[in-house]
Amino acid sequence: MSSASDSSGVGAGGNASGSAGDTMILNGAAITIETLIAHGVTDVFGIPGGSVLNLYDELFSRTSQITHRITSHEQGAAHAADGYARATGKVGVAMATSGPGATNLVTGIATAYLDSSPVVFITGNVPTNLMGKDSFQEVDITGITMPITKHGFLVKDINALEETICEAFRIARSGRPGPVLIDIPKDVQIAETEFLGGHPLPDLPRRQPDQSELQAAAELINSSQQPFIYAGGGVVLSDSSDLLCQLAEKLDAPIGLSIMGLTAMSSTHPLYLGMTGMHGLPEATQLNAEADLIIGIGVRFSDRATGNINSYREKAKIIHIDIDDAEIDKNVQADVSLHGDIRDILPLLIELVEERDRRQWLDHATDIREAMRDSILAPSEAQASGLTPYTVINAVRQRTDDSTVIATDVGQHQMWVAQHYAFNQPRTFLTSGGLGAMGFGMGAAIGASIAKTQTRTVLFTGDGSFHMNLNELATAVRYQLPIVVVILNNGVLGMVRQWQTLFYQSRHSETTLDRSTDYVKLAEAFGARGFSVGDAHGLNEVLDQAFSSSEPVLIDCRIDPDSQVFPIIPPGGSFIDMIIA
Amino acid sequence: MNQPTQISNFTLSILVANRAGALSRITGLFSKRGFNIDTLSVGPMAEDPSLSRLIMTSSGDEVTKNQIIKQLAKLYDVVDVKLI
Repeated sequence: MSSASDSSGVGAGGNASGSAGDTMILNGAAITIETLIAHGVTDVFGIPGGSVLNLYDELFSRTSQITHRITSHEQGAAHAADGYARATGKVGVAMATSGPGATNLVTGIATAYLDSSPVVFITGNVPTNLMGKDSFQEVDITGITMPITKHGFLVKDINALEETICEAFRIARSGRPGPVLIDIPKDVQIAETEFLGGHPLPDLPRRQPDQSELQAAAELINSSQQPFIYAGGGVVLSDSSDLLCQLAEKLDAPIGLSIMGLTAMSSTHPLYLGMTGMHGLPEATQLNAEADLIIGIGVRFSDRATGNINSYREKAKIIHIDIDDAEIDKNVQADVSLHGDIRDILPLLIELVEERDRRQWLDHATDIREAMRDSILAPSEAQASGLTPYTVINAVRQRTDDSTVIATDVGQHQMWVAQHYAFNQPRTFLTSGGLGAMGFGMGAAIGASIAKTQTRTVLFTGDGSFHMNLNELATAVRYQLPIVVVILNNGVLGMVRQWQTLFYQSRHSETTLDRSTDYVKLAEAFGARGFSVGDAHGLNEVLDQAFSSSEPVLIDCRIDPDSQVFPIIPPGGSFIDMIIA
Repeated sequence: MNQPTQISNFTLSILVANRAGALSRITGLFSKRGFNIDTLSVGPMAEDPSLSRLIMTSSGDEVTKNQIIKQLAKLYDVVDVKLI
């Protein structure tokens, strides 16, 4: 393979430079920022450093068009750009310098990759003449991120820079979205060439659904007695919630959502049963297991959603609808697959399917709900002298709007929120579903708040997760973001401890934190307000204050270290292995 | 649905944009997803030097083979994948 430097670029076409009056000659850094602006980018997150000095110098003179927010750590910037993208559907942008700046992005890039979030990451690198010599702050970041990006570009030729940035945006947002990295050596930021305007490229063409596939899917659906719709993040990403509802209503079919699918259907919809999978609600997971047809829409049938794949599909035929052809037949063999965009496929499919009344099948879900949900909630409510996760989540929900964006970190608190928070609008739940990155939430909440012009955002986190990126509290304070951070503080790494309790004979190896962090003082030290509460009365008082504040507020909610997430299906198990309490 | 799980050898012809890192991306995909590369040869296309042709032999069951082709086709640098 030849090097990138010989690729032909824009502006190299031989126009006599300077002969035309409207030719604009810019340096690479200016071309980068102008191309971002041409793509409608108004906000970027990052931290300056030696190899991006030129990029930041250009930002300095364009503050009226593009606003940069500095985070405490590049990981926070990456999660913020990701949260920004998830909350809006726009492409998020994060910047970092070479070496450690770039490597600090890596967890954020992987998070965006596993959850198909469109983010463009821009890194500086050492000048091309120093590359490959282990120079100061030099790493091969395109190499490091190769397995966790949709694509990565190392731009060694100034004449390729503008079209590369345009292409990066197109790749990030087209088809199945995802992160794209652009690494720009310092000398390329300094070199000059003609700037052509940075105009966005059209999206890559979408594959149109095949008529025979549609017919086959409709036949399976029409002959099914007990269909179950299992919908995921693809529905949120393609803004297809309305279509999902229309399909479900015509079929009178119950819907379960994967964690990434949450918000795709309003919690108030009578056909919506809840999250399905390892920690899914019993009625959702049981109907999923008993269905004679599973209609997977924008899902990847991940191990956390299906458990044992053989028993998962034992009784059911499977229709798989996805924009990514490689998802089809990857984890589960589909009987009929529809490769394409949900936005294109569902309208056609809805036309072809027959309207049905499946009262009996749906009543079955109601029966399960009534029989089982009490037994799930009861044990925790019994410990009610203190706070339970459910009382905290419900008390917060009473004070939020349907449009309030909720971010989480990873672990028990994440599952409690996924199970019990009533989401009613798409793109209001930001969580690291695929990578499961503790520390995601603080950055994501910052990104979402900024994306929504500094509106109220809530972060549910645990004491373990919060300690991973609590440095970003400084960022929330600096930009005066009205973020309410709710720490479900059990003093332990709760989810790992729960697994130790259930599957490792209660040998609680290194999951008891024994930290003496004073969250009130911590919040105050960062310039935020902090509270600590241990009972429902105190909680309500504090939440009233927090939700009337326009500043970041941290609330330390003390819960029982032995609170567990139920139901749970042990890893590799199936519905019949579900542990209820 | 019973899937054939019999392992077979097969040969792929992959047309790749002649860009830095393209070969690394392809071999990285194989190690990342646990696919086999049995043999590999690569050279520029005489008729179009902006492209290279990779001939690769691999092995796996039917599901793996289809996954390899689909995952390769997703790569930005890959222009075409054919089973030969």
